[in-house]
Amino acid sequence: MTCEETRKNLPLFLYGELSFDEEELVEVHMDECAACRAALAREKAMFGALDEAEMIPAAGALEESRMELRRRLAHSQNPIRRSSWWDKVREGFTINFHFAPGIAQVAGAAAMLVLGFVTARMAPNSLLGNFRTASVMDNPATSRVRYVEPTSPGRVQIVVDETHQRVLSGSLDDQSIQRLLLTAAKDPSDAGLRVESVDLLKNNSQSAEIRKALVYALEHDPNAGVRLKALDGLKQFAEDPDTRQALTSVLLKDDNPGVRTQVIDLLVQRQHNDAMVGVLQELMEKEDNSYIRMRCQKVLQEMNASVETY
Amino acid sequence: MDEAELIRAAQQGDQRAFEQLVRLYDQSVLRLATNLLRSPEEANDIYQEAFLRVFKNLHTFRFDCSFHTWLYRIVSNLCLDALRKRKVRREESSLVETSEGVLDRMDTVEERRADGNPERQLESQELKSRIQEVLGGLTPRERAVFEMRHYQGMRLRTIGEVMGTSEEAAKNCLFRATQKMRAALGDFV
Repeated sequence: MTCEETRKNLPLFLYGELSFDEEELVEVHMDECAACRAALAREKAMFGALDEAEMIPAAGALEESRMELRRRLAHSQNPIRRSSWWDKVREGFTINFHFAPGIAQVAGAAAMLVLGFVTARMAPNSLLGNFRTASVMDNPATSRVRYVEPTSPGRVQIVVDETHQRVLSGSLDDQSIQRLLLTAAKDPSDAGLRVESVDLLKNNSQSAEIRKALVYALEHDPNAGVRLKALDGLKQFAEDPDTRQALTSVLLKDDNPGVRTQVIDLLVQRQHNDAMVGVLQELMEKEDNSYIRMRCQKVLQEMNASVETY
Repeated sequence: MDEAELIRAAQQGDQRAFEQLVRLYDQSVLRLATNLLRSPEEANDIYQEAFLRVFKNLHTFRFDCSFHTWLYRIVSNLCLDALRKRKVRREESSLVETSEGVLDRMDTVEERRADGNPERQLESQELKSRIQEVLGGLTPRERAVFEMRHYQGMRLRTIGEVMGTSEEAAKNCLFRATQKMRAALGDFV
């Protein structure tokens, strides 16, 4: 490869976007050419400057955008909306009003009157009023009737489970905040919450407890977004034996090629130890992602190990 | 619920599932739009429009490509349109006239580096404006490819899918963008 070709390829080389063969040619040329090594150093400096110029949305901007979206969605007609029995009743009335406004309005009004009369006659008093609402009226975020039990004639006892919301704010270094984030990071019902919690926790990965939670998320979270965030937090601990073991296991079993790609980059970025040979050979047997295969192949060749097991 | 389950639930009208789906990607969408347009207001407009379009068209998503690619296709098209309109209007400057004088809209955007050293701040400021200038000189397509590769870390193959072109075309685009930047920033770094 000539100097001109090498320099032309430098950005793609730094982005890891060259083919295995092209990358080899660039590296071979670089070993022999001081001028191109200097050009590479300049290219890296430019990349660094561009990194620094990245614009991060201001704090709170994301939350404001989310709130606005929530408002706009509330006013937007859901294209596929589950219709409840009440929607169906309402839709029925709407159609009638549309086709025959005069008669249907009278019929609709009469139907509502009958419905109200029947409800007042048939429904127990407890549903229409005169029930103790103190605990329910405390504005819980969610409430659910756990069970109902008739007590005396005409009366009933209802047990309601309630969830109350509280707003807590504090420093990310605060242990109680961290504990809440650690709990949220494992919430099985909300992947978005887990992504955000892990994203916040990853900045405090010096803490052994948080690191443990990140390793757990990386190995067990069903959502690839969460696993990638956890991986991000573990990058600086790639040489730590426990983290390395977790990374190795993830490399062999994670079904997301994006996660595996980042893991392989992390595992092979520094010194290669002999224990890696077996792992990489095992990976080569089953890996179908060309980038990961290429990285494996390259490291194995650098370690003078065979690409396959025999 | 994993992503595919969230999409299916949202397609059935589950609002909570849709919100969770939004939360999986909205941070990077806002970041991409902020970087591409270098205007917080326009970035928010893109964010709103993109997710409203997703909401309205999610029932047509058939898992032919990844949801990420589908979403980014919407976002990049919106950003490209905004950049093209801006080129026409020649509104690249982030300065706006207000009743209180001229304000820089980018003051409301956080920079990566916060350094107390005044000399470094000045250098950084100069470099920032030079980079702004170079980015403004790129074609909308070059800029989008560069942003997605450099700041979002997306592979060229995925960028090609998002932009509706080949990996090779995305590579050429990135190549042209970095060449222009090298020419403009060479004496700075």
